[in-house]
Amino acid sequence: MRGGLQTALTELLSSTTGKVGVTFFLVMLLISLYAIITNPLDFGTRLWNNPAAWADNPKNVPPAWTGIFEGSRRVNHTVFEASEPTEVRNTTRGIESVYTFNVDYTFDEAPTFTSFSIQNVTYHGSPPSTSVSVMRPDGRSLSLYRFVVPAPRNGETPPILRYQQTPFRVHLSGEPSVAVNVAQFLQDEFQVNISSSRLVGDIDEAVFGIPDTQGGGFQPLKGEYQIVVVARSQNERDSIEGVKFVLGGSQFGMMGTDSTGRDLARGLIFGFPVALAIGLITAVMATVIGTTMGIISGYTGGKTDILIQRFSDVLSNIPLLPILLFLAFILGQKLWIVIAILIVFGWPGMAIVIRSMVLQIRSGQLVEASISLGASRWRIMLRHIFPQMAPFVFAQMIFFTPAAILAEAGLSFLGLGDPSIPTWGQILDQGFRTGAVYVGYWWWVMPPGILIVLTALTFVLIALGMERVVDPRLRTVRQ
Amino acid sequence: MTELLRIEDLRVHFQARKGLIGTIPVKALDGVSLTLEKGKTLAVVGESGSGKTTLGRAALRLVKPTGGRIFFDGEDVTNLPDSKLKKFRRRAQGVFQDPYSSLDAFMSVSQILEEPLAIHSIGNARERTDMIHHALQDVRLSPVEEMAAKYPHMLSGGLRQRVGLARALILRPDFILADEPVSMIDASSRTEILYLMRDLQDTYGIGFLYITHDIATARHFSDRIAVMYAGRIVEIGPAEQIVDEPLHPYTVALIKAVPEPDPANRLRQRPVIPGEPPSPTEPPTGCRFHPRCPSAIEGTCEVIDPPLIEVRPGHHVACHLWPEGVH
Repeated sequence: MRGGLQTALTELLSSTTGKVGVTFFLVMLLISLYAIITNPLDFGTRLWNNPAAWADNPKNVPPAWTGIFEGSRRVNHTVFEASEPTEVRNTTRGIESVYTFNVDYTFDEAPTFTSFSIQNVTYHGSPPSTSVSVMRPDGRSLSLYRFVVPAPRNGETPPILRYQQTPFRVHLSGEPSVAVNVAQFLQDEFQVNISSSRLVGDIDEAVFGIPDTQGGGFQPLKGEYQIVVVARSQNERDSIEGVKFVLGGSQFGMMGTDSTGRDLARGLIFGFPVALAIGLITAVMATVIGTTMGIISGYTGGKTDILIQRFSDVLSNIPLLPILLFLAFILGQKLWIVIAILIVFGWPGMAIVIRSMVLQIRSGQLVEASISLGASRWRIMLRHIFPQMAPFVFAQMIFFTPAAILAEAGLSFLGLGDPSIPTWGQILDQGFRTGAVYVGYWWWVMPPGILIVLTALTFVLIALGMERVVDPRLRTVRQ
Repeated sequence: MTELLRIEDLRVHFQARKGLIGTIPVKALDGVSLTLEKGKTLAVVGESGSGKTTLGRAALRLVKPTGGRIFFDGEDVTNLPDSKLKKFRRRAQGVFQDPYSSLDAFMSVSQILEEPLAIHSIGNARERTDMIHHALQDVRLSPVEEMAAKYPHMLSGGLRQRVGLARALILRPDFILADEPVSMIDASSRTEILYLMRDLQDTYGIGFLYITHDIATARHFSDRIAVMYAGRIVEIGPAEQIVDEPLHPYTVALIKAVPEPDPANRLRQRPVIPGEPPSPTEPPTGCRFHPRCPSAIEGTCEVIDPPLIEVRPGHHVACHLWPEGVH
């Protein structure tokens, strides 16, 4: 009928459940679009499973917004970056490019780590050197680290390029030479004697604090800090394109980080399109095949029926998990293989149930009346039998969607997820595997679980709303 | 008088499962012959299991006959493949017993009525709407526009059966099989539907095969009556004669079983046919009615199968009591 789709949509949106379900679904769709647009398609291999991409993030820290509920102020994760120097000085020892970063330190604790990196260094002649020092709010200044860019190799001619692909990065908190400098600083300024090897774990406490005379530890020192990076070169054409100083926070982003410092928010967002794709493709394909096979089997009868039913029996009695494990080993851990297997093993159950429903309808008077009108068997199957199956089929399809997402999550849980595509299941799995549950890293395991549940809920709500569309007996009469 | 439907020695046997692999034939129809004239009504009366519904289904070619022949308007349609039945399907329609399951609950009345037109590609959208409205007027469903938009679940049994009738009528058929069309409808709307069918017959000259277990309505609404027992016709003839002067003991018993609305009958024991209808897998030898027959002739009835003999003009009986007809 004309306008059938429009009627269906109005009907779906006229119920509260339908409205909520569709809203949820649209939100999921929008997030999925956002994820696809903002992330490269090889997000999994290039970023998510590449530890180098997350090196500058704090590990295992909760979401930034949880700081509101804390009594003491946690360190905000802050990245200072500069591509142009703040100041260039010509001195007798060479040209000094100064990069200054101002840190307004108001936190009640030390940063989790500090790191420094430089990128895209070009030089002619003798290699440039860089140094990092801190001007503290108490007027003391502390020289942290000095680094000379490696000299030209044999046969290399100017301009010499360094750190083009991967930046030179130093983890200041764990650097022995920094420890030596800080131990010296403590000795000189506070007359506190701590050996540099003992100091390695507490470098940041010392840099951003003052020694606690009673307790023996350090008290955070609040105020304005200045991180000064000086790059000294002998040639005015030399350049450094990226200077970065990271103040490692104890809270991060919207969803916190995991044990490799990955921004969980990005992984969860990328999980949306993946989950929708797994769920919808599997559910639609399995129900379409199952329904078609079931109707043909039930209505045609005879040899076709026996063939389809025995085939379904065999497929539905093969244990799915061993097959999945087996195929994952043989064919590799590919998402599309998982989807294909879920479809192949998902439709027979549907076909068996649909067939039994069709058998009941086939012997009814509606089919007889239709035959006597001259209707072809395809017409009867499509126009008279299918609509009676439709509520069931839609319900099944919608229930199959979260089931497919869960099946994939289950597989990921067994370590058979596709490593090139992050999914909620994999995030959950990694959380469990690293013991996040027992340590209390709730931000790592709860959000993926909640998202899986929300996805299921979305489809259930749509199913409830759809019921009235596919079954006119439930429609309300509008005057 | 021109012949519309002629059935000759029609046999329909079904294979019933017996044990794990064995099958056993169930003889639903075992040698039935009858003719229906254009614009006339032939009622087929019998108990449950007598084969009357199978006869109707075979007449519409909904089951494939095991033997015998079916002629429709002179053409042999017995073994036409489904692909060549379309012409027959357009001219022969059915109204079924259950108005609750014979209409598609997922279609509105106008969709239900449009379907036969769509199947046979008749008319464009406007013409179809006109035809649908006309058919609804024919079965006196009004207001037409309002009715066309309704779904079957919004209608009562009687109204649904009118929709079923309209669906059968919309193709202007020559033959309608009415398989117990009023048995599932409220008593109040039964006669209305039956009168409506007779009016439509007068208007369009449709031949009805009216299958019923109610011999009283059969007398009123049909020209001829065929009485079936255990897959056979035991008596066939003009409606008044069959009811007023039944000859076969089974017909006699059937008519006696009809309750009469007389308060004096309240305490009177009505005669009932003793025993059960025979099993269609193992029908009795000789006359199939003999185990239950009050006037069975010993030595004859259980041995010899009585043939259907014309005992009066147009009145045939298969019974050993009437070997040479009625004088």
